Amino acid sequence: MGVLTHDEFFARLADVFTGPKTKGHGAVFLTQKRLTYGQEPSIQQQQQQQQQQSPSSSSPDPSSPDQTSPEIALPDLAPPAQPYPILIRATNGKGKAARDRKVKLSTVVQPDEIEAFFARYAEVCKSGMAALKPRDRTKRKAKAKKKKAGGA
Amino acid sequence: MPYYAKSEDWLHQSALLLQARPTTTRITTRYHLKPARRVRKAQARKQQSDDATAASSQDQQQQQQQQQQQQQEQQIPEKPPRGHLVLKTFDPASGVTLKYKTSKAAEVSRLVQMLGTLGRRMAGVPDLPAPSIVMTATEEGAAAAAAAAAAVGEGGDGDVGGAGMSRSASGVGTPTPGGSGAGAGQQAAGGGGGGKGKKKKGKR
Repeated sequence: MGVLTHDEFFARLADVFTGPKTKGHGAVFLTQKRLTYGQEPSIQQQQQQQQQQSPSSSSPDPSSPDQTSPEIALPDLAPPAQPYPILIRATNGKGKAARDRKVKLSTVVQPDEIEAFFARYAEVCKSGMAALKPRDRTKRKAKAKKKKAGGA
Repeated sequence: MPYYAKSEDWLHQSALLLQARPTTTRITTRYHLKPARRVRKAQARKQQSDDATAASSQDQQQQQQQQQQQQQEQQIPEKPPRGHLVLKTFDPASGVTLKYKTSKAAEVSRLVQMLGTLGRRMAGVPDLPAPSIVMTATEEGAAAAAAAAAAVGEGGDGDVGGAGMSRSASGVGTPTPGGSGAGAGQQAAGGGGGGKGKKKKGKR
């Protein structure tokens, strides 16, 4: 499925959450990662150049920090010249046996939309994850009762 | 790789991992429901069969009624399926996995907010000073702090941006594991975080 708009993504994500809610079992997987594919070629070229430079310094193994400085071993360390968008994916975790019932959603969040997106994301998740333990208020109630009893 | 006991630890370690490998690291949130344990039912059946063999024919009817009542009582408090939430940060390049597991509904909004702060790191957008304060805030204050943080973010996005870049650069140079110290430094550096700092002191 192609990339969805935020509105569509949230609407369908709510549907995905209702699956385990009604059945009493199941799972929802949400993934986020930096979207580098299909970005401006200048960024990718820079990265490739950096990657080509790093193996040329006699040790291609990045797990040997003694021989290579951290800048070369981890070419990502320098902050990017241009912020990347984030790719958000969601599935209901159905495998091969139930491929026809598998739901895969994805959306792209631009760097300037992150705040707004995650605010809505939190609301959808909160309402979708209703089977988590609610906050335990029994202790507070007991305290309140004691206070009332003491006052009366 | 271990589960962290505190979400703050997970956030800190994930932030460090993201700093090292922002292009390959991914964060997966898994929410799953497990059916409630059936231990109680099995015990109830056992008792039923034992009683049935031991009882005389006259008492059976009474006992059956009692058992039915007991069953009903036992079925009513039977727990609904319990949900669990697992946050996982994974970097395929180095094979590092960082996990955090919870089943508390009160944490969800805070955790999604953490996903947001990590998302900012992923995107390469400089950090706002506010999220580090939210990280240390108590559960009750998290929501209010989040709202305030959003307000600060909208207001001070432009002028904080340049300072944030330099801050992140300096952080790269000294990858010490003292997370709380770095957080405090960010608070001090961020002009918009002054009001928030006061709030935190009051809570402590």
